[in-house]
Amino acid sequence: MAAQTVTLLKKKRGLHGLDRNNGWDYLIIGIMLLFMAVCIYPFWYVVIGSFSDGQNYLRGGVYLLPRVWSLQNYMVTLVDSRLYIGFRVTFLRTVICTITHVLFTSMVAYSMSRDDLPARKAIYWINMFTMFFGGGLIPFYILLKQLKLINTFWVYVIPGLYSVYNMIICSNYFRSIPSEIHESAMLDGASEFKTFLRLYLPLSAPVLATIALWVGVGHWNAFFDSMVYTTDRNLQTLQLYLYKMIKTSEFVSSADMGYLPSEMQQNVTSTTVRYATIVISTIPILCIYPLLQRFLTKGIMLGSLKG
Amino acid sequence: MTAAKHRYNRRRFNHQVFLMAMAGVVFLLIFAYIPMIGVVIGFKNMDYSLNIMKDLFDKPFVGFSNFVKFVTDAQFKNVMLNTLSLSLLELLFTFPLPILFALLLNELRSRKFKRVVQTSTYFPHFISWVVYGGIVMALLSSDGGFANSVLLQAGLIDKPINFMSRSEYFYAIVIISSAIKGTGWGSVIYVAAISGIDPQIYEAARIDGANRRQNAFLVTLPSIASTITVLLLLAISGILGSGFDRIYMLQNPLNLAKSEVLDTYIYKVGISQRRFSFTTAVGVFRSFLAVLLLSVGNFTSKRLTGNGLF
Repeated sequence: MAAQTVTLLKKKRGLHGLDRNNGWDYLIIGIMLLFMAVCIYPFWYVVIGSFSDGQNYLRGGVYLLPRVWSLQNYMVTLVDSRLYIGFRVTFLRTVICTITHVLFTSMVAYSMSRDDLPARKAIYWINMFTMFFGGGLIPFYILLKQLKLINTFWVYVIPGLYSVYNMIICSNYFRSIPSEIHESAMLDGASEFKTFLRLYLPLSAPVLATIALWVGVGHWNAFFDSMVYTTDRNLQTLQLYLYKMIKTSEFVSSADMGYLPSEMQQNVTSTTVRYATIVISTIPILCIYPLLQRFLTKGIMLGSLKG
Repeated sequence: MTAAKHRYNRRRFNHQVFLMAMAGVVFLLIFAYIPMIGVVIGFKNMDYSLNIMKDLFDKPFVGFSNFVKFVTDAQFKNVMLNTLSLSLLELLFTFPLPILFALLLNELRSRKFKRVVQTSTYFPHFISWVVYGGIVMALLSSDGGFANSVLLQAGLIDKPINFMSRSEYFYAIVIISSAIKGTGWGSVIYVAAISGIDPQIYEAARIDGANRRQNAFLVTLPSIASTITVLLLLAISGILGSGFDRIYMLQNPLNLAKSEVLDTYIYKVGISQRRFSFTTAVGVFRSFLAVLLLSVGNFTSKRLTGNGLF
């Protein structure tokens, strides 16, 4: 009888079901809860700070909920024109760069997936070599300068058009598409480019979505290129604006300070306004996070299949 | 008829796909190979140059003098020490944590709880280092930051510690915050590898009387060993260049003694001070070091485990 119960339990609990929830299980659950708290709490800390009254917040001790609620931090951060410029530049670059990158990279990937590509081996090694060797920052900077890309919007788009790594992932996926599809398209008289655009692109939607999300998050979070390759205030990305705001105490540009009622200027502090800006800039990532988690978790496996 | 024509076409030079591949090649020639040729700047003396293209052809080669300048520079010892220390600490602490985390996730019995854990621990990975660094600085700030408030209330300290401006804390801050930000997401690939393990192996282990800990350490861990090796080698190859954003973000003039690394140094001296040749040489030195580290790692791994990247 007892033996039967044990077998039943084993079946119910699957592979590890050798025994009931024991101390070991509670320890693991405890560790997991602690680690979750460590991951999430910093964000919560910033969120409650952003809804707190600036002067009151400075007394410290706000851990779980604001002591004195206030929306003033958001009102202050929303008058800053640099926030809008940053959002616009970052949004535009994320959309434009992601689309162009996926189209260009997958087009090259299509050609590399074809066995009848002339000089395939040589082209493959031309690609691979760049994954291990590079010229470094200064020659790259000088190149961009010679190409007159410095201080233009295109400095975000053109150098990011292509990635060898994504090309390989994409190309491997294209290879898994049955060659009959290609042959029937050829028989119908379609050109290679048309076959790629009309058949291969739609058939590879999952892998393209993965790459697009990957590249998109990278562009949303990028600040190095904006800092190094642009000086124009109107080309500043959201992250560079955040960087400047966090690193200096100037939380509203002096040009926009006049739009604020004077009593608000006295009430808010740079700390809580900073939090409000951080929250605003993180909302878009939060919105697409379910998508990110789903596609990128699968994408990792796609990447690990390469060979 | 059409089939015959088609077969004929396939044997012909397929100019359409060739053109598509050439688009990629042209891109790489411009944005990867031209900068590689550009490393000659490091072997000339073009610091503070105003007309780079002219100087690139006119200036004579000066051999390795820029490299000698860097090695004898007052900053050299410090920058190298910080770069290598942070890389080593990263390999020791940040690298193994996702493996441990994946093993623990695998032990969770409730699928729902597992999903909740994954959702909340993957999140920080998608946040930029600008934002995350800003949050770290907020938590550690000396005027009312979380860490100081807690320590003060617990009576462990008398007056607030300014963590960010004390250089002795810098390594710990970078490593711990990277570990929190990256452990969850870093485990994804191991979770995938674990889910690919043949259940029969566990079955066999169970019949041999293995308990859960033995299952985890004697079945699961060895089964994902090849994944671990490959990722370790990738981590070694990328390690000298993966940290600009976080270090630049957390760095300030007061902790510079511990926070200046090769990448931040190259940026400051090269772009801000316009010492083009000097920093190109530093960049070449850095690439050389990265290739060297990877080769040593690959060699060791081939000797020990029999598999490597190349």
